[in-house]
Amino acid sequence: MPPIVQSLLLVTAQVIVLLAVSPFLVGLIRKVKARFQCRQGAGVFQPYADLAKLFHKQPVLSTTTSWIFTATPYILFASTLSAGLLVPTLSSQAPLNFAGNIIALVYLLALGTFFLILAGLDAGSAFGGMGGSREAIVASLTEPTMILSVFTIALTAGSTNLSTIVHKTALLEGIVTDPSPHLMALAALFIVTLAETGRVPVDNPATHLELTMIHEAMVLEYSGRYLALVEWAAGLKLAVFLSLIANVFAPWGIATTLTPAALAIGLVAYAVKIAGLAVSIGVLECMFAKLRLFRVTDLLGVAFILALLGLLFFYILRS
Amino acid sequence: MPLSSHIGSQLVDLCSALLLLTCFAIVAQRRLSACVDLFALQSAFLALTAALVAFLTGHHHIYIAAALTGAIKVIAIPRVLKKVIERLNVKRELVMNVNVPAGLLICGALVMLAFFITQPIIPLGFLLTRDSLAIALAIVLIGFFTMIARQKAVTQLVGFLVMENGLFLGATAATYGMPLIVELGVFFDVLIAALIAGIYTNRLQDAFDSVDTTHLTVLKE
Repeated sequence: MPPIVQSLLLVTAQVIVLLAVSPFLVGLIRKVKARFQCRQGAGVFQPYADLAKLFHKQPVLSTTTSWIFTATPYILFASTLSAGLLVPTLSSQAPLNFAGNIIALVYLLALGTFFLILAGLDAGSAFGGMGGSREAIVASLTEPTMILSVFTIALTAGSTNLSTIVHKTALLEGIVTDPSPHLMALAALFIVTLAETGRVPVDNPATHLELTMIHEAMVLEYSGRYLALVEWAAGLKLAVFLSLIANVFAPWGIATTLTPAALAIGLVAYAVKIAGLAVSIGVLECMFAKLRLFRVTDLLGVAFILALLGLLFFYILRS
Repeated sequence: MPLSSHIGSQLVDLCSALLLLTCFAIVAQRRLSACVDLFALQSAFLALTAALVAFLTGHHHIYIAAALTGAIKVIAIPRVLKKVIERLNVKRELVMNVNVPAGLLICGALVMLAFFITQPIIPLGFLLTRDSLAIALAIVLIGFFTMIARQKAVTQLVGFLVMENGLFLGATAATYGMPLIVELGVFFDVLIAALIAGIYTNRLQDAFDSVDTTHLTVLKE
């Protein structure tokens, strides 16, 4: 098979996997939460139906909005999906690994967040502005943490390319195998995941109570297909973060060669890993209450220090 | 030895890192009962580390120390502290001498300090636990900092116990544990200290209707 066909197939496969898996993750977390709260809950496939319904509805646009408002869902969706193509899922070879590294991943996600904040402000409603300013607080606190934890991982593998990192870790070759820096980076990245994807200790995805919402406040003005894209992008972001955690810290089972058998094993391993992570997020959401907004800095402070310690440990244990 | 010494040393490093992780959780935690739970968790990791060292080195007396850690620090002391907390009218610490984000940054600096102090010593060691020495020192410093930063007697006591955990880890890391008779004495001391501090906290609660130790500085005849 010529390499160009191979990479095109890989891109297509990964796009399909990411798009298909992201509403399922959202549904799975909701189902776990419902069961823990002794409710039956909607089926795990409910988010697919929601998305389909939203795509058929007519969007309503406020007359005060500019082009930013209508462009944002597409920018958000595209940037999140491209970020997803930088993360290895089934195979240790990420489809776009020639185009960008782990730093590009962080800033592709930040691009989406930036436009979402702008769109929140654009509609001119008080909620949008409030949500936007809160999101800016959270994003400015998570970004250094994410960069630091990402550097820790990159240093241990000696590369900032995610495919190289995952490949080396999966085969346990050519990396500095000290568990402590990895553990610190994992803890930091997990907290960042909760904050960035708007999960419970930081934001509550199930609320429409004005005092507590962050992400929901920003997207309050969206409807129809725009809302569907924003929601799907939020699910994608969750899938990207979970894939990152699963495959960087526990890449075992991932396909290191592009044979059908290895890819099938990779698909099963990937599904099990991210479903496990989604369930753990659902359980965590039931165990913890949402933090007050001004206490969020404490949590993200912990994450920052953990990431910093990860870097420190790397240098100490090396010397 | 069934495990290679490289993997063994990494496992010990990992357990010590978990100890340090719980330290930071204690520094960031405001709820008193959660602080006690985190201390119990930290002690469980400590017992695990000690058991691991005992397994890897074949020094059987460390098993006894690990079991005592489990019995006293994971079960007995947290239970006493929980009893004390039940009597108190405060559930969480709102005012601290140093606020949480600043405290976390200071603790990060303390860890760096501990690493830089121990850095000249570590390469001289030949024990598989030698990297844990830096972490042990960091835990002692963080425990000390917690005692300074907090105002409530219960969290100060938790800080003291965290310091003791750090010392125990240090002893295990530097010399594969102290002689058993010394460790027995230390365990007894810690247990008694925790009991006395528990009683003292109750007295404080009765006398001032608060467990804020800053009240003691203005005690005048």
